[in-house]
Amino acid sequence: MNPIHLTIDDKPIVSKEGTNIFQAALDNGIYIPGLCYHPKLSQFGGCRLCMVEVTERRTGHRFACAHPVSEGMIVKVNTPKVIRYRQSVMEYLLAHHPLDCPTCDKSGECGLQDVTHELNLFPGRFKTVRMDAPMIRDNPLLELNRNRCILCGRCVSACKEIEGLGAIDFQNRGIKTVIGTAFNRPLACSFCGGCVAVCPTGAWQDRTLGFKGRSWEFSKVPTICPYCPVGCTIILNTKMESVRRITSDDYLGINEGNLCIKGRFGHEFIHSPERIKTPLIRKNGELYPTSWDDAIEYIAKKFQQIKNEHGGTAIGGIGSEKCTNEDNYLFQKFCRSVLGTNNIDNMANIKSPALNGLIHESVIHGMTSASLKEIEHANTLFFIGADMTEAHPVAGNMARKAIRLNNANLIIANERGVQFNSIARNDIRLQYALGSQIILINALIKVIIDEKLVDLKKVETSTNNFDKLRSLIDKFNIEEASKITGVTQEAIRNAALLLTKPGNCYIICGKDIEENPLAEDAIRALMNLCALLNPAYRGDAGLGKVSLFFSRSHNNSQGVNDVGVVPGFFPGYVSTNDVSNKEKIEKLWGVKLPDEIFKKDAENVIDLALNGKLKALYIMGENLVVNYPNGKKIKEACKKVDFIVVQDTFLTETAQLADVVLPAATFAEKEGTFTNMGMTVQRLNKAIKPVGDAKPDWQIICSLAQKMGHSCSYVSTKEILTEIESISPMHAGINYDRLRRKEFHWASSVFSKNKSTRYTFSIVKPISSEIRKNKDFPFVLLTGASLNHQGTFSRHSKSLISVAPECFVEINKKDAQALQINNGDRVTIESAHNKLTLLAKVTSKLPERTVFVSEDYEWVPVNLLRDGVHTSVKIYKETV
Amino acid sequence: MIVPLIKGLALTIKRFLNPNTCVTMQYPDERPILAPRFRGLPELQIGKDGREKCVACGLCARVCPSQCISVEGAEDETNRRYPKVYELDAFRCIFCGFCEEACPVRAIILRDTFELATYDNKDVFDKEKLLDLTRKRNLPK
Repeated sequence: MNPIHLTIDDKPIVSKEGTNIFQAALDNGIYIPGLCYHPKLSQFGGCRLCMVEVTERRTGHRFACAHPVSEGMIVKVNTPKVIRYRQSVMEYLLAHHPLDCPTCDKSGECGLQDVTHELNLFPGRFKTVRMDAPMIRDNPLLELNRNRCILCGRCVSACKEIEGLGAIDFQNRGIKTVIGTAFNRPLACSFCGGCVAVCPTGAWQDRTLGFKGRSWEFSKVPTICPYCPVGCTIILNTKMESVRRITSDDYLGINEGNLCIKGRFGHEFIHSPERIKTPLIRKNGELYPTSWDDAIEYIAKKFQQIKNEHGGTAIGGIGSEKCTNEDNYLFQKFCRSVLGTNNIDNMANIKSPALNGLIHESVIHGMTSASLKEIEHANTLFFIGADMTEAHPVAGNMARKAIRLNNANLIIANERGVQFNSIARNDIRLQYALGSQIILINALIKVIIDEKLVDLKKVETSTNNFDKLRSLIDKFNIEEASKITGVTQEAIRNAALLLTKPGNCYIICGKDIEENPLAEDAIRALMNLCALLNPAYRGDAGLGKVSLFFSRSHNNSQGVNDVGVVPGFFPGYVSTNDVSNKEKIEKLWGVKLPDEIFKKDAENVIDLALNGKLKALYIMGENLVVNYPNGKKIKEACKKVDFIVVQDTFLTETAQLADVVLPAATFAEKEGTFTNMGMTVQRLNKAIKPVGDAKPDWQIICSLAQKMGHSCSYVSTKEILTEIESISPMHAGINYDRLRRKEFHWASSVFSKNKSTRYTFSIVKPISSEIRKNKDFPFVLLTGASLNHQGTFSRHSKSLISVAPECFVEINKKDAQALQINNGDRVTIESAHNKLTLLAKVTSKLPERTVFVSEDYEWVPVNLLRDGVHTSVKIYKETV
Repeated sequence: MIVPLIKGLALTIKRFLNPNTCVTMQYPDERPILAPRFRGLPELQIGKDGREKCVACGLCARVCPSQCISVEGAEDETNRRYPKVYELDAFRCIFCGFCEEACPVRAIILRDTFELATYDNKDVFDKEKLLDLTRKRNLPK
């Protein structure tokens, strides 16, 4: 795009072609009053305040937000005529405004107030007419006060363009125009709160605040959201050591001020009365409060005793996907160096054991080179097995931005018909049969190779094993693939054509692929596809980028693996199988590590516990009993362990089984870093003091290590991160102080060091995973993410519970008809292990003979039913 | 030198013996007549519905130069905004009257209460105490 030179208020400015005057001024720090224009939304031109004097060939008055910049343009923002015009516009706006600033929560951050002050307005010439429209409070989170509305249309655009919903729009015409839902039905949206964030007046309000503070009283601390792995920056608004609300900042972090319901409203757990405030010790079968000193001493004594009697390997450790990198780093260091065990693991690794190695491989080959924010610049988006709307809503918002601004193409492949609202011109949905993902990916590869959509000669010269892949693909029959997957040949072909189009292509691999028994093969097939799509082989001379993202479940699922809470790796994916690393690690940690840590094959911690090989289990921030995919197995395993220590914020199901429970601080009460699913390390900031006697996890581990006679004297998380940097090759160059301003993307720094690696195609047999057919249990149970809930935190957030109080079992329309199940009926799902009664939700999204239950409602123990990814169940209506 | 001394003493004795020219107020027995704009302790006003007029907008707390006011707003059953906590630390109050000036609903007025001596330094004026001042004033005499 050509640069354009113009002058605004005597300041020479260079701007891009197609920018409007308002944005050009904003980028250069020149203020133009305006209430309807928002940088992240399309222009509307409704408030009429941004009138400026523009001289192009002759002088005239233009609206800054609706007029593009042109070469040599002279703009004057504040001429007497313009100011007089603006004042009269404001007079009209204020004539209807209720002026109830004293009771309006927007007061202090209100755009209308700011402009009124700035224009120095006095009571207008018009007789004021108050509207007296009733407040609309038909949902627990958002309220709409139409009296305060100035009809700027920001909320309408935000709902339509960012969230893709269009739940609200203008109603009526002329003076009767109001904002509302269709047919004035109660607001039924995703409750992302985007309307509250963009509203320049107090028309949309966050009801959860409930007048608990004024905007100027809050201290605003930017930090990272503790829910999903996207890693949005949220602003904690605190007053008197308590978090009152969460807002967003358009210019901070990766999320451009967009949040989802969990991010914006799910903060009440921080001050939940159910939080553990003191350490608890089990005496005579009951948990009793105790002091920190006693609890730590007791644990240290017990651990030491078990270590002396049975060896360090008799102690297992489970790290947390929700704790910071620093907490997890210290946890694995404590387990390995103090306890002398390598039996450590985390939930993400337990669920998909092959993933860590594959992610690291894909980073080294430059396939995972983009950060999550770059999705905004995509030209083609391919979501495979990923439910963007439910699992990563804000990444979905970024995708919608790419679709809106770049006309990005969209391909969604999933077993279920997942919802994703978009305006993409090329929107291909591939709903493949259960377990046939590898066949689908291979079919795409076949189309690309057969139709020579990429330069195959170049592929052959710059990769290994391509001939083998070719011979495999030659044997592969696309008609048969179409039959097995249930996707038409035409759709497969169209998808392949879109994937090979020039520009940026981003592929997001979801949990449905990663947690499948065939995960390794499927991801390897996906990496083959990625390697083929490399821009160097495409027609557009190397422009654009291809990147593969691996979706994760929790805020730090990536980080917990990065810092080595896995049996196979030390921090930074340094292999534990390699004894040559021993010397380096021992030198850095200043201890002698036992040989057991470097043994070849690592066993699953839960299996060890089940076999009675573990005497103690140290669990940090994980509700194992509910989150482990096989509920029966984990309960038995926990029973066999003599001594369990749980370090958590709430008395979860796992903590209830523990012998000692230690109260841990939440994300708002500690510092540290989280790594999101795009490999970006972002920094948390401490907003409030720990609630009760809670302590940050790293401090608890430090005091435990000290009690056991090891020096562990960290003063701050900065020291820990500096140590991580020295030990983990991929974190090299991370700087704790710089993280405050700029996030650290480790994938790109690792890739730049390994640029010369040649990709070797792996040969993946195109097979589909076996679904056991069972006459007694004809249905297949699928699980997945939920937008409204995730983990222990959302369960204790009042607002989230009020929006989604019940977990539903989703069932296909046809099946529901056959079983005479209606929406809202109580139905029982029964598997070979257990049964569960839930409310039914009839949907057309699911394939036949499947039922779907979200696993994110922690109080619904879905895992008790499960014995694998595809569990056979039966479903029947509950008779009253 | 002696003469002016005697002159002065004479005036002193004359004043001393004449009760009509006494200027010291006999305070506890005798009450001062306060000016209409006297600024005593800020009092919370009561509205027609018998509840506090205050809407917890927090402007008084913001404008207070000695930061002696703290307000915690909340929402009642009728969705009305009201002060759940309204505390005025009279030890810190400098009786400047800015809070009265800032108040958009005339809910706080500095009246004539000036006898604020207390035996306990933890005695902060909370919402009920501040309202009681007004309630007492409204009682029929």
